[in-house]
Amino acid sequence: MGISLSKLTEKTNIWPWLLLAPLGLYMLIFFAVPLADVAIMSFTEPKVSLANYQKVLTGALYQRVFLNTFVTAAFVTLCCLLVGYPLAYLMAHSKPRTAMLILLLVTMSFWTSFLVRTYSWMVLLGNNGPLIAFLQMVGVDRPPQLLFTRFSSTLAMVHILAPYMIMNIYTVMKKIDPALIRSAESLGARGWSLFRHVYLPLTAPGIANGSVLVFVICLGFYVTPVLLGSPREQMVAGLIGHQIEEFLAFGLGSAMAMILLVVTLIILTIYHRRFGLDKLWG
Amino acid sequence: MNTFMRWAGFVVVLFIAAPLVIVVPMSFSNASSLQFPPPGYWFGYYRAYFTNTDWLIPTWNSILIATATTILTMALVVPATFALVRHKFRGKGFADLMMLMPMAVPHIVMAVGYYSYFGDLGLVHSHLGVILAHTCLSVPIAFLVLSANLKGFDRNLERAALSLGASPAKTFLHVTLPILRPGLVISSLFAFIQSFDETVVAIFISGRDAETLPRKMFDSIRQEADPVIAVISTLLFFVVLIGIAAPYFASALRSRAPKPSRPAGAH
Repeated sequence: MGISLSKLTEKTNIWPWLLLAPLGLYMLIFFAVPLADVAIMSFTEPKVSLANYQKVLTGALYQRVFLNTFVTAAFVTLCCLLVGYPLAYLMAHSKPRTAMLILLLVTMSFWTSFLVRTYSWMVLLGNNGPLIAFLQMVGVDRPPQLLFTRFSSTLAMVHILAPYMIMNIYTVMKKIDPALIRSAESLGARGWSLFRHVYLPLTAPGIANGSVLVFVICLGFYVTPVLLGSPREQMVAGLIGHQIEEFLAFGLGSAMAMILLVVTLIILTIYHRRFGLDKLWG
Repeated sequence: MNTFMRWAGFVVVLFIAAPLVIVVPMSFSNASSLQFPPPGYWFGYYRAYFTNTDWLIPTWNSILIATATTILTMALVVPATFALVRHKFRGKGFADLMMLMPMAVPHIVMAVGYYSYFGDLGLVHSHLGVILAHTCLSVPIAFLVLSANLKGFDRNLERAALSLGASPAKTFLHVTLPILRPGLVISSLFAFIQSFDETVVAIFISGRDAETLPRKMFDSIRQEADPVIAVISTLLFFVVLIGIAAPYFASALRSRAPKPSRPAGAH
């Protein structure tokens, strides 16, 4: 390693700072300051007090929305896991051609804009859509309202976030040494017990990665719950937007935003301590 | 277990695929509202999209903003990545973490911040405001891609150039940059897509004057669900398909295993 170039760079220690300065300054002005602005507004709008936090933490509406957000995020994460695990398995243990096609599909989904996928679910679940038509065909006289319910927003969020889960689990499954499975089998592990005691623990890191990512994104999800969800069962991000756009209640909106931010950062900090944040996004 | 997993897997394939492909027949529909299967087919909504400035201007705004965001992001991130990957200094761990921060903060939080802060600076409802905000949000993904590339860089190639008498500037231009080009292209692409797809911040700050395509789509879906969205979705669908399939075919031609690449999580 220690040849002239690295010696040169170690001696002239001002270089890294010069290279970092433009970005550092930029992030200070256009990232840190607006973020600090949110923090300040939460304490000062409309006047200096803790009233916003008091209202958000004790008001029945806000408590319900926060609770709904956590429950929804947890449920979506669980569904993504249930949906993602078999698919990742199929990808990891199929012939290369099949695996490649599924990978192509998952990647497609991943790269398709949230809005496009949200719109697709509107078509699929709409009153003139295929699902309602199918229900009518099999004899359901008065099909239930699917769109603009908790059902539609949850389903779309699972669809949108599943690729994050699938990719994380797939990466781990791909690395499992087949010899481990064979030796477990030769020791008598079969079916469920093989899965429960050998395969599942080996894929745990992927499950943890995917779950943290899905949960955290879901906590702050704005677009899909606002467009597809029931207006009476908002999630936090939607309510923040509502407070700002409709009522210009910057203080209240900021206080909710700060709570959302703190919760998100706590989860990511725990994650960072154990695995390292740069691993999260693969 | 194996059989169960496979069957479940195939059901999930349908679940993932159906919403992606349904927009294609929808875009050729002649129904005036969301109806599937469509009662008939024609190109009406394609004509509506390509002739209506209500849709073309946001499309143009998005392309413009994403391009400017990419240039600004790369101008800031490339030198910073060199500093963080090639140098050891105090506070490097902290700086590494800070590069990823915009990814960790929910976009709705940043949207509130930009709405207020850019309001004070007179930057709301302007292209510049959206570009400045999107650049922050694109920094982490560009950095992640580029730093992964730079870490795998064989520095002996630079040393060889220097020992053969090339100046450091020449070495950088003729050795370092060409080798890094794939990494630079991919991280630029990610920055572009991050901006082009970004919805939440754009909803709050782009206003009428700098309206981006996602913002226009969001408003339209919220109000009347204009079937023109199916046209845009179909066009985006094929752009993504070509974008993903091209490297697959290229790598298949070179008979090398393809490597999936993934962007950041937008919120």
